[in-house]
Amino acid sequence: MKPKVAFFDFAGCEGDQLQVANLEEDLLALLGQVEVVSFREVMKEHSDNYDIAFVEGSCTRLQDEDRLKTIRKNAKIVVAIGSCATIGGINSLRNYKDLENVKKTVYGENARLFDSYAARAIDAVIPVDAYVHGCPIDKEDFLQVVKSLLLGKKPETTTYPVCVECKKNENVCAFERGQFCVGTVTRAGCNSCCVNEGTICWGCRGLVDNPNENSHKEVLIKYGLTVDDAISKFRLYFGWQETKR
Amino acid sequence: MRHSSYSYQNLLGDPQNMKIISKEDFQNFIDALIKDDSLNVIGVKSRGNKFAFAPLESAKELRLDYDVTLLPPKKYFFPQRETLFTYDLSDGFSAKNPEEIKPMVIVGVHPYDIVALLHMDEIFRETKSDPYYFKKREAAIIIGVNIQKMSKWNFSSFMGSAAIDYGYDLMLTDLGNRYAINIGSQKGEDLLSKYAKNVTLALARDIQIAGQKKREVMGMSQQKFDFPPELIPELLKDSYGKSGFWEKHSEKCLACGSCVLVCPTCYCFDVKENLDLSLEQGERIRTWDGCLLEDFAKIASGENFRATRPTRYRHRYFKKGKYLFDTFGFISCVGCGRCSSNCLPDIANPVNLFNDMYHENIDSGTQMATVAAQPDVNIQTEGDIDYVPKLATIIKKVPMTSMETLFEIKLDDGSELSHKPGQFVEVSVFGIGEAPISLSSSPTKKETFEVCVRKLGNVTTKLHRLNVGDKVGIRGPFGNGFDVGSLKGKDLLFIAGGLGIAPLRSLINYVLDNRKDFGRVYLLYGCKEPKELLFSDELVSIASKENVEFKPTVDRCPESGVWEGNIGVITTLIPQVSFDPEKTLAILCGPPVMYKFVIADLKKRNVPDDHIIMSLERRMKCGVGKCGHCQINQIYVCKDGPVFNYSKIKGVPEAL
Repeated sequence: MKPKVAFFDFAGCEGDQLQVANLEEDLLALLGQVEVVSFREVMKEHSDNYDIAFVEGSCTRLQDEDRLKTIRKNAKIVVAIGSCATIGGINSLRNYKDLENVKKTVYGENARLFDSYAARAIDAVIPVDAYVHGCPIDKEDFLQVVKSLLLGKKPETTTYPVCVECKKNENVCAFERGQFCVGTVTRAGCNSCCVNEGTICWGCRGLVDNPNENSHKEVLIKYGLTVDDAISKFRLYFGWQETKR
Repeated sequence: MRHSSYSYQNLLGDPQNMKIISKEDFQNFIDALIKDDSLNVIGVKSRGNKFAFAPLESAKELRLDYDVTLLPPKKYFFPQRETLFTYDLSDGFSAKNPEEIKPMVIVGVHPYDIVALLHMDEIFRETKSDPYYFKKREAAIIIGVNIQKMSKWNFSSFMGSAAIDYGYDLMLTDLGNRYAINIGSQKGEDLLSKYAKNVTLALARDIQIAGQKKREVMGMSQQKFDFPPELIPELLKDSYGKSGFWEKHSEKCLACGSCVLVCPTCYCFDVKENLDLSLEQGERIRTWDGCLLEDFAKIASGENFRATRPTRYRHRYFKKGKYLFDTFGFISCVGCGRCSSNCLPDIANPVNLFNDMYHENIDSGTQMATVAAQPDVNIQTEGDIDYVPKLATIIKKVPMTSMETLFEIKLDDGSELSHKPGQFVEVSVFGIGEAPISLSSSPTKKETFEVCVRKLGNVTTKLHRLNVGDKVGIRGPFGNGFDVGSLKGKDLLFIAGGLGIAPLRSLINYVLDNRKDFGRVYLLYGCKEPKELLFSDELVSIASKENVEFKPTVDRCPESGVWEGNIGVITTLIPQVSFDPEKTLAILCGPPVMYKFVIADLKKRNVPDDHIIMSLERRMKCGVGKCGHCQINQIYVCKDGPVFNYSKIKGVPEAL
């Protein structure tokens, strides 16, 4: 019996589900191993009978919590996919601002009609069994996690930073190119994809378990960033993790 | 037979055997090599504002005026990611070694990177030879080039690797409109005569200029040691526990691993499994790893033997400057400066660190050795490493507790494992990976062997789900095992904590099978709770039959449990047995935390250091003393252990 899988989305852009829908040649092989019972982005059908739930997006209001808890109850395994779900993502940027102002900016005069609270990763609400980090997720990383689950293996999460992959890929360090990067404190697993293309690591996979944040902020400043800019670099993706620490 | 790469060392390039080629003819030579499809031609090219070794499409791409490449040419012999074997599970398990590789020519290697390759040759041939590395090494021709521009981080002139007369097939020196070429090997000479035109003998003047250029390089390093770097091993001798020193220097360490990943002499690796979506075709790969990374020395139970940044930071300097020196006789650093230039907080520069250490010593009035140490080097090679496991079948599965199961396994080819008590095997569950497991059965049991496995990581959890008749892979036996000869005639005091009984059982059963060869036998065995006791029926029965004094204990007994024996940690049993410390050997195995307490209590009973023998657990990934994960200071547990005499490791700080 193929395990039944379902996809769910919360506050986010649904770009991670798009990555799954875009698996191309691997899609058929994947469908040979699992039965998709719910995936709003690609099908109309829906069922609450599923084994593995993939959840995208962060939790941004109280009502989301109930929905997450239902998913947790229905699924044997819950996998958070994408930065918003795994680490709070860029939604957490607003946690540094006044919530009422944020609501006003987004919803204008109808702001009072919308509930909202500080954005958070879904493991702030329910236990999560596995993570596919990234903004968006890396297709290969997603498949690795799926294969691990199919084999009854606990998916491996890298504990080292992006620098490891940059070095293996023989990238010229972003700092050597006059740019500012947070790959030194960001969990690897993306094969340093952004730096491979000549840009920087923004930190979408979140902080490693034990980052030396102060040292890296010092590095950013040593190479010419202002203190405020260095702090913003960390807030872009690490906001939820930082407030939690 | 020695590996050809190794014989380089005996093959000095004769400085008089020098040829001259014009730059135009040199370009034609390289282009002729590129044109030959049977060769893989690699050279130094620009990458952004840096340089890298990469396949050449045209001689014009070559940048022999480079300062340093991002990665050393090591990547062609020990790649970032390498398939050890591929397999197919659709019909049992069939493994295939990777395909043959094309001969390669690497153009533009600086002398320090050549020395680094010679270090790697030594390391990869020690004890057992690594066929993956040497196959590529033998297929390569190295065309070196003397340094024209030196990176500001470079200190190779201090490490004796700025200019060399050996280790290359050909060595170029830029003479303006011509290159001088030193011939280092027959392979080099043949390549030149086959592909190059208008090569002439060097005149005395050319030889003189080339010599002059080489001497200039010797003074080019901007990074300078304040003392002779030969003394680094001496300096390190007393620096391991230097108060605050390592903490201070590593305070800014990001644990990003950059310093070790770019190093031309680093060789630590991880072994991983990769299965395709059919879940039938897969490969086992090895990838670069680094001792600076957080989980490098972490084992499945969660214990991390170098959990902090200062301890990992220190390990790197000790490995390079002391541990490898003690085994191989060289400081495993060639002065390329890549670590320094890649460290964003700028704390990885060995010159700065060792100068600081030197000056602190001088300031504190510590006597510094003035003569470099000379270790006793004796490198032996016995056969090749085999990473492909033997196929084996589970023939019996006995659940022992909720966490542990005893598996009886038989090798499919009918061969005997022929292990010693105390050795271990690497057990593969295909598609998941490989894990080191101690052998639990005595070698006197010949056709099959047993392993007692705790469900902890991915491999062991999956192993528990396998059934009788299912296949596993076995590599080994590995490690030294107990020296049973030295135990003969002695009284034996076994002290086991938790799963530590599993490896001891192989020795206990061996002793019982040869009972008359040994004196009195005591067995102290402790667990957290009664339900965790392993082999309890078996142990009770042998105790009564074979004149063994057996004392079990539990840390606690919950109300629901039944327990009539001792309650307390394992050390509470030691005062309960009377033994003669002079005639008795204590044999210990248990969780890492157990050892120091048990040893302290044995010492109170006047047991001499060399009467205490123990089996240690670490992350033994490759089993053959290469991957680095199980290293305790200079010791590889998988190869030098897992069994150690306390007198030999009591001075080894990371051991207990």
